[in-house]
Amino acid sequence: MPESGLTLGDVCVLDLSQDIAGPFCSKLLAGLGAEVIKVERPGSGDVSRRAGAGLGVAPHPEQSALFLYLNTSKKSVTLDIDSQTGATILRKLAQECDLLVESFPPGYLDRLGLGYAALEQLNPGLIYTSVTFFGQTGPYRHLKGSELIAQAMGGLMQTIGLPDREPLKIGGNAACYTTGMSAFSATMIALYARDVQGYGQQVDVSAMETMTVAQIHSSIHHQFGRTPSRRESPLVEAKDGWVSPGLERGVRQDTWPRVCDMIGRPDLKDNPAFSTPEARREHQQDLLAILSGWTATQSKEEIYHLLQELRSVAGYVATVEDLFTSRQLVARQFFQAIDHPSAGKALYPGAPFRIQGDAWRHGRAPLLGEHNWEIYGGRLGLSTAELARLRGAGTI
Amino acid sequence: MTQPALEGLRILDMTQIAAGPYATLLLGFMGAEIIKVESCSRMDINRGLARPTPETYRMYPQGIPGERPWNRSAHHIHRNVNKRSVTLDLASPQGKELFLQLTAICDALIENYRASVLDRLGLGYAQLSAANPQLVYVKISSQGASGPETDYGSLGSTLEQTAGLASITGYEDGRPLMTNETYPDPVVGIVAVGALMAALRRRRQTGKGAFIDLSQREVAVALLGEAVVDYSLSGRVAAPIADRHLLMAPHGVYPCQGDDLWVAIAVGSDAEWRGLCHAIGQPELADDVRFATLPGRWQNQRALDDILSAWTRGRDHYEAMHILQRHGVPAGPVITPAEVIAEPHLEARGFWDTVDHPEAGPYRQVSTPWKLSKSPRRATSPAPGLGEHNGYVLGELLGLSAQEIATLEAKGIIGTRPVGMDEP
Repeated sequence: MPESGLTLGDVCVLDLSQDIAGPFCSKLLAGLGAEVIKVERPGSGDVSRRAGAGLGVAPHPEQSALFLYLNTSKKSVTLDIDSQTGATILRKLAQECDLLVESFPPGYLDRLGLGYAALEQLNPGLIYTSVTFFGQTGPYRHLKGSELIAQAMGGLMQTIGLPDREPLKIGGNAACYTTGMSAFSATMIALYARDVQGYGQQVDVSAMETMTVAQIHSSIHHQFGRTPSRRESPLVEAKDGWVSPGLERGVRQDTWPRVCDMIGRPDLKDNPAFSTPEARREHQQDLLAILSGWTATQSKEEIYHLLQELRSVAGYVATVEDLFTSRQLVARQFFQAIDHPSAGKALYPGAPFRIQGDAWRHGRAPLLGEHNWEIYGGRLGLSTAELARLRGAGTI
Repeated sequence: MTQPALEGLRILDMTQIAAGPYATLLLGFMGAEIIKVESCSRMDINRGLARPTPETYRMYPQGIPGERPWNRSAHHIHRNVNKRSVTLDLASPQGKELFLQLTAICDALIENYRASVLDRLGLGYAQLSAANPQLVYVKISSQGASGPETDYGSLGSTLEQTAGLASITGYEDGRPLMTNETYPDPVVGIVAVGALMAALRRRRQTGKGAFIDLSQREVAVALLGEAVVDYSLSGRVAAPIADRHLLMAPHGVYPCQGDDLWVAIAVGSDAEWRGLCHAIGQPELADDVRFATLPGRWQNQRALDDILSAWTRGRDHYEAMHILQRHGVPAGPVITPAEVIAEPHLEARGFWDTVDHPEAGPYRQVSTPWKLSKSPRRATSPAPGLGEHNGYVLGELLGLSAQEIATLEAKGIIGTRPVGMDEP
């Protein structure tokens, strides 16, 4: 393999998953160079093609931001896997591939003869990654999940939000993305085991368990006698948004006196209510009230830089707009411009990690069925007449 | 086949606090040997203070620091399972030399210090890859290994802000909120595992080690990728919408019987809506024109919230889930920290391990968010005492004699108690 090659340049992924978690897993595999063949339902395709930014904003199926982001560098074929012909074609593809990613309800693919047990017979080296809300076993395996429900049942949500309000969900689709990362890492572990020990296997990834891993903090504190609860976030208002001073943990001893000088309150240096990180944590709201006079006159990014220079762990609440002008993200060329024939040019978040000397693929998302001819004709050797017949029957 | 997937892989663990320790915790579950390196003057911050002050007692089981608090702080107990502990004073020439010898017999090193810390010790990637050209070096840092903010520090809560997550998390007043539970840390730990696997695969192909630059902020931005792309395409700036959904309704958490107990309900399709009407014993609602279509339900979601709350209030949150799910409605309890460790589904799947820690007592340990059918995870081994495996690492792995190890201890290069503990 060439020096500047792609780590997964020799790997083919059959991707039957849809929506967020499974496609995010295969997006990362594609970034590392795997050939990802995304199998979509003829006509409608992946549900994320219809995810809009708001009610009444029904996107064109080739212009959904969610779909465009999650399916970079993949190929799309359409296939009705519920039909016998479709299932047969899928089995042929599975024989050609190294990895399979799917997100159907447990048992669904088994009934079509496309479960792990059936495909393992055809391709013993296959790694078959199933990404669902509750996993392949256990009493909840057939329950219906969602982003909100994964956050609720992972145990994290109960502790997020304000004490006098209902539990608060993390914005967007954090649970599903994180589950996609679980699926990616688990699949890479299975690929390592295949490379070293020589066998394929089924990988069972659950969103509920991913979120339970993410709450690791709360359950241990509960068990050791201090149950975490919803509480105010340590944020204070700047001229143009919100900041957190970050003076309670991970700071140097001289940070606090220097902050006192900077905000023009040297009298606070030796005030026992604030002189240690633990004391500042204890008196968090008082501290924020004192700082608010100073923060209100500065921009949030200025405050962030000033306090970080004094070795705090300060932060500023960046909006998506702010991300594009962050000098750090810009300097690292994190965002990648990707052109798309239907949606046009946009900036996308880039690689979540960089392996020195290795490239990351930043290809665009495919149009629905864009690669039917390449895969069915080129890869499987179906004739033009056969393809026309499949199209006529609605199989592709 | 019952061989762990990562058996034979040895990883030098220079991580601390959260994101890094989560990565090595997961790798340990999958069979890798994890050697955690600390020093008696600079322990993993998770171990707490050598002599805890009363303000920090809440970090310990039942609020009691005990005889060796550094071996029983809550964060250390759950984040450092599946690891062996060796102490080495890396500021001393002999400590450095031993560290380089250790590097030479490891496959990978993972660290999450502020970006330049190991460089300043003369133990950066350049020096370590000279000692072991096959080493995979995973550098987890707040902002990445380059750029003007490369040496900035952060906690998970900082990243929620700087990556944009807090800007879309909050109630309808639009004020940003954080999880206060350092959500990005475990996320980074999870994805770092896959990054390491990728570099190890590359090593098999090229025979060479690699440097992985993982910016926690960039990983956290990936969690709101569609909002980034959407802004780039349309100029829309995503904002908090509480527990609501841009397309679905009803969508949110509803109060149940008991103190601060809730059930989450997320209804999208018409079929789910009809199921909901039957589940709550109001089939006639399915014919109400206000709610007949998804846009209608979305427009009238406040009215729906009232109808649903009236029903949920009289029910246990688990009971509500079961009734709704029987009618095909996506629903689930908002599980409390007390309930999660006894959750029947997680129990049935063997998610939790019960660990009896020699210095902290029995507790339930989080395991992995995945199951591999032929590569089972290992049972949890309890978080190690400081320097507990000095003899194994220096003696068995590096071949030092018992006398040499005793000399290192006498010189304070290794030890099992934090510096300063035994002085008056």
